[in-house]
Amino acid sequence: MHEFLTAGIIGISLGAQYALLALGFTLIFGILGVINFAHGGFYALGGYVAYAAVSQFGLPFPLAVLAAVIVTAALGALYERFLIERLVDDHLATMMLTLGLYLVISTGLLAVFGPQSPEFSFPVKGTLRAGTLYLPLENLVVLAVCAAAIGGLWLLIYRTDFGRALRALADDRKVAMTQGMRPGLLFPLAFGLATGLAGLTGALVTPILALSPSAGDPVLVTSFLTVILGGLGSIAGAVVAAIIVGFVEAYASVYLGGSAGALILFVTVLVILLARPTGLFGREIRGA
Amino acid sequence: MAPEPNLAARSPSRWGAQEWVAVAIFVAALAVPYATEDLLVHSIVNRVLIGAMAAFSVFIMLRMDLLSFATPAFMALGGYSAVLLAMNGVTEVLLIVPASFIVPALVALPLGALVLRLRGVYFVLVTFVLTEILQLIVFLTPGLTGGSDGLAGFPAPTLLGRDLSDAQSVLALAAAMALLAVVITAALTAHFRQHFAAIEENEVLAESLGLVVWRYKAMGFVVAAGIAGMAGFALGNMLLTVHPTSFGAQQAVDTIVYTIVGGRGSILGPVVGASLLVTAADFLGNQGQYAQGLFGLLLIFVTLVARGGITGAVVTLARRLRDARRTPDAPAAAASEAAARGGA
Repeated sequence: MHEFLTAGIIGISLGAQYALLALGFTLIFGILGVINFAHGGFYALGGYVAYAAVSQFGLPFPLAVLAAVIVTAALGALYERFLIERLVDDHLATMMLTLGLYLVISTGLLAVFGPQSPEFSFPVKGTLRAGTLYLPLENLVVLAVCAAAIGGLWLLIYRTDFGRALRALADDRKVAMTQGMRPGLLFPLAFGLATGLAGLTGALVTPILALSPSAGDPVLVTSFLTVILGGLGSIAGAVVAAIIVGFVEAYASVYLGGSAGALILFVTVLVILLARPTGLFGREIRGA
Repeated sequence: MAPEPNLAARSPSRWGAQEWVAVAIFVAALAVPYATEDLLVHSIVNRVLIGAMAAFSVFIMLRMDLLSFATPAFMALGGYSAVLLAMNGVTEVLLIVPASFIVPALVALPLGALVLRLRGVYFVLVTFVLTEILQLIVFLTPGLTGGSDGLAGFPAPTLLGRDLSDAQSVLALAAAMALLAVVITAALTAHFRQHFAAIEENEVLAESLGLVVWRYKAMGFVVAAGIAGMAGFALGNMLLTVHPTSFGAQQAVDTIVYTIVGGRGSILGPVVGASLLVTAADFLGNQGQYAQGLFGLLLIFVTLVARGGITGAVVTLARRLRDARRTPDAPAAAASEAAARGGA
């Protein structure tokens, strides 16, 4: 029972991280129709920016996280504005552009910071005792920040004009444009918002997990899994699917062993993709 | 239902200059192991041949506008099948080379029935997932595949009883397999040029005009899988081991980069791409870890500036030069240039 609860805490903490990553990924697909292969790269970049801010410039951790968000959001918005924007409706071209960016980011991180994982640890240590349960504080902090970010994003998308404009563009770009939405402004902002979320997750999570130039590889795979499960482009689906993936991963690693759990997850996702490409909760948002 | 339009009859499976040049290159590659004993040259040429074979697999799928990340999965199927045969006493290359083609092709047949219904980004995602799944299966079956240790120390392949373990024979075998791969790829893509073009251009329209689209897609997928399988065996034979890390997403990305940078519009594209990029990665020497960054920059550059890749740029340039010579007056040259751009 004890083991079960501990795995549950880890599961929900993982799920919250995955949700932040998947939300960014699904936003970019839903609004622009672009598969962002560089998503994991922005995660790793966020981690390294936060690390550099703490170790080189002596910034306190929360400011370092903020710096990571700003850098990754700005890079994402600029890349969209000046490169992706030109070919935004050519799905092969945008995949090549984001794949190329991923290779450049991870090689750049390797060149600047070297292949070794730097010493970068979470500033909050210790455990919270609740009855017989010991909860690591760092996981709780991550969970709280992720939950706040998800809530903030929800408000942004569903309660502001900016969010309404983005959803309008995702629904039907032509109609939205005749209504005065400007993709030239909104697409870079949406892309930057999504990459900023990846940077935020990287800055928060890499001190607990691990930081390395290739830290983005598994992130990309997990984002793929989560958005397929939740339905490409679906915001609520991404959150629910991320929590499912987090729980499956946590429980499978306790009861089945990592590879077997991953295999079950992958095969499930494969079946869903074949039987119901719109995902468990998705609707047809965008013909691919 | 209307009878299927006979596209092959309208354009008989005639090979163009590019197909013949590609085959000539691989015939010439057969001579390399006997022309030089330089082991560095052997190593580079061997990796170019394997890279080009894998890139042919991506090239075939791109003819139908499908971007596949599943090449490493089929490479693994071919590589592991061949090595398992060798470990069980079958070392004859006349048996194991066909096996390295047939096993992945047989797996691709039912798999294709499932995944070829998907298009665009959904096909990309499913092939990405397939490669991950195959790696996990290898990790989970240490009894059969050696799991995370891979399989090493298998007996060298033989040709009619002659041992092929020396460096020359390893390269010659890779060159022979690559020649087979280029002939198959050229035959397939030239014979079904119109069919694939119709599917690439507008699949729904092609289908409504009576083209049995799934038949050609399945054929392309199966052959692409088989060619990838041969590349997998050549890789295992060069490295003397088959290992799950040889067949991951990174290899899928490399193979796609070879094809796109070389040019997806011509069978010479994968050859040019693999030759240049494998050599370039080698010249970086002990800075080899930066090759990925170079690949990324090239990918971005080609996508933005030269959509046809290197071979496409050369063809466009040659056409412009020819047109400029033929019609010296500027307006006509500009018009033909615009036509060429519109046709690209």
